[in-house]
Amino acid sequence: MALIGFIVNPIAGMGGRVGLKGTDGVLKEALELGAEPVAPQRVEVFLRRLDSIIESRGIEKRIEWLTCSDGMGEDSLRSFASDYWEYEVDCESSAPTTAEDTKNACKILLGKNVSLIVFCGGDGTARDIWQTVGEDVPIIGIPSGVKMHSGVFGMNPEATAEIVAEFISGEMDVAEGEILDLDEEKYRKGEWHIQLFGTAKTPHEPTYVQVSKVQVEAVGEDAIKEEIAESIVEDMEDEPDTLFILGSGSTVGAVSQELGIEFSLLGVDTVVNKELIAKDVNESKLLSLLDQYPKVRLVISPIGAQGFILGRGNLQLSPEVIRRIGIDNITVISPPAKLAQTPVLRVDTGDKELDEMFYERQYLRVVFRYKTMKLVKVGK
Amino acid sequence: MRDPSGFMREEYQDLVEKGFDWKLRVLEGPSAPRCKVDGKDVIMLCSNNYLNMSNHPRLIAAAKKALETHGAGSGSVRPIAGNLDLHFEAERAVAKFKHTESALIYQTGFAANAGLIPQLAGKGDIIISDELNHGSIIDGVRLTKADRAIFPHRNMGELEKVLQDSDKKHNRILIVSDGVFSMDGDIQYMDQIQKLADEYGAMTFVDDAHGEGVIGPDGRGIGAHFGIAGKIDVEMGTFSKAYGVVGGLIAGSQDLVNFALNKSRTWLLSGSHPPQVAAAQIEAIKVLEEEPEHVNNLWDNTKYFKNELISMGYDCGQSETPITPVIVGESHKAKALSERTFELGVFALPIVFPMVARDAARIRTMMNAGLTKDDLNEALAAFEKAGKELEII
Ligand SMILES: Cc1ncc(COP(=O)(O)O)c(C=O)c1O
Repeated sequence: MALIGFIVNPIAGMGGRVGLKGTDGVLKEALELGAEPVAPQRVEVFLRRLDSIIESRGIEKRIEWLTCSDGMGEDSLRSFASDYWEYEVDCESSAPTTAEDTKNACKILLGKNVSLIVFCGGDGTARDIWQTVGEDVPIIGIPSGVKMHSGVFGMNPEATAEIVAEFISGEMDVAEGEILDLDEEKYRKGEWHIQLFGTAKTPHEPTYVQVSKVQVEAVGEDAIKEEIAESIVEDMEDEPDTLFILGSGSTVGAVSQELGIEFSLLGVDTVVNKELIAKDVNESKLLSLLDQYPKVRLVISPIGAQGFILGRGNLQLSPEVIRRIGIDNITVISPPAKLAQTPVLRVDTGDKELDEMFYERQYLRVVFRYKTMKLVKVGK
Repeated sequence: MRDPSGFMREEYQDLVEKGFDWKLRVLEGPSAPRCKVDGKDVIMLCSNNYLNMSNHPRLIAAAKKALETHGAGSGSVRPIAGNLDLHFEAERAVAKFKHTESALIYQTGFAANAGLIPQLAGKGDIIISDELNHGSIIDGVRLTKADRAIFPHRNMGELEKVLQDSDKKHNRILIVSDGVFSMDGDIQYMDQIQKLADEYGAMTFVDDAHGEGVIGPDGRGIGAHFGIAGKIDVEMGTFSKAYGVVGGLIAGSQDLVNFALNKSRTWLLSGSHPPQVAAAQIEAIKVLEEEPEHVNNLWDNTKYFKNELISMGYDCGQSETPITPVIVGESHKAKALSERTFELGVFALPIVFPMVARDAARIRTMMNAGLTKDDLNEALAAFEKAGKELEII
């Protein structure tokens, strides 16, 4: 039996149809505007697909869903039964449901030692869950929200079913997925900015390496990140006195770990000759460092589900900073499993002309293994 | 106290649990079109002995004679005291057969890739590989300090983009690819790669392990197949497959051979082939030049077998060569088909996820020139019976 937590945010996505930027805190307004629930249909598509994958693949493992009462999971599991699973209601929900219900449910599920939490919702739900479970249990979302920038969602409910099926048959690796959400403070001031909050664990297709002609070996995400980091460190050795600006996220973080220096997961750090110069720098510090160091390299990795390399989670890397660095001096790094899910790299620097300069390139080099790169499209 | 070697058992156990350990099958007697595997008489559809050359009386006689004239071993590495007249003779035969200026023979194809590739590019250079290249190429590439780039399988548009991108950033550019890809049996567009390479000033290296003795006029390989023999910088191949012996080869210019033999560590630091191997290599090439029926039979058999499978309703993919995948979908189906056909007397291995996509699990069959029409009909009947029982066709 695979013990899996199952949490549905029944109001997720309701704001979207009526033009709101989310549903959190504005449910009443959404209802008044005529919003209807979307989560139940999404969950049904997910369950149907999961049932048919388990059947066609002949997967032997059965699922025990641990879920919440009523609209937070129970209703869906009751209305779509399957030979391949059972469910148990362990957590209560209030009416209407709140973020607190989600957080309480996560605490209970952690206590029950679930191996995975499947949820249905958007960035807000992902963040609520992550706040409680952190990196203790992998999470995977059935997309149903208004915003889905976090790297913990399947592309659609069917894709989430595929991931869950592979997870229970033991074919999945676990890797980091970024939790991104709207910066509410900025939003209240009228600015639209997606902020990086941290990293959760999420199931990932492993990277396979050929061992022989009819055999491959799965290589863990951490080993791959280390390989990529080694290449960047070798570049640092080859390029003395160059200012290396290291972007946010755990892939770039591995470079600092390889160097044995401190780093900021959510911020931007700077390194010269393999030594930390300044940690978690802001835009003006970056500009002054750029005055000081004529040679520069920016190392970044796609953040979240949609392949954004700039404009999500890293405001310090302002249009002016990027222009001063120059597109040719940007090195994009990404583990292959993540790259496979983000076939297009995106930029949203806040400066249309600068974004165009990226699009004109059509392709950027992405280092995805030790010294190994491929060209990946940049697009809208 | 640490357990100095406990990891061996642990890692092995882990493979066993995942079902990834090799369960070695034993061939009792020669690798022949019909042979005995684990005590069972089977039709062999998974050896690389495409031309059944390993059983050719002329090769056996040549090997025996060399044993008598030259002894059982070569006595040394080639650069010191292990360079026999037979080694040079075999190399001259390869160059003549492949229409190149010169050739060099390594102990194995693996030794050729792992020994030469790291010498062709280093710091500041770039090696560009097809994403499906063979593991021995990948290992060769791993030994260099060069940057590496990967292009999607047989995608010339993407290869050109990588060349454009690399043009200004690197000194030497080396494009490496398999000639015939052993999983799908498809052929690399080597003519187009050569054209792009000429345009961008790149070197080309093709691993023709599954093309030697199989494609091109008289089985002369991929250079001859595309009419570009002598243009590819390095045509690498092996004697372990269609030639029916063992040994790696590279064919190209005299400059290439001078460079390769002075630089390849696998060649310099490992004992040379024993005389009987060199003599069998020479004889294999002579047979190919003098007896075209082997290559012809291989292709006749391939066409018959493939067409019959397709008319039964099997999906045989994009294969253009004697490697015919029988694609059946989910992994468990491919495994069941392989087990059932083995019971029915056919030996062919399943290839399943993650070697191939989840919905493209298959049995990979490799044709042999020595199989008769009756043998093929028997194998086909097994595929038909098993396929129907398992509701695949
Ligand atoms: C494409 C390819 N290259 C190289 C080799 C290695 O050749 P050898 O068996 O001579 O070491 C093989 C198979 O063994 C192969 O399939």
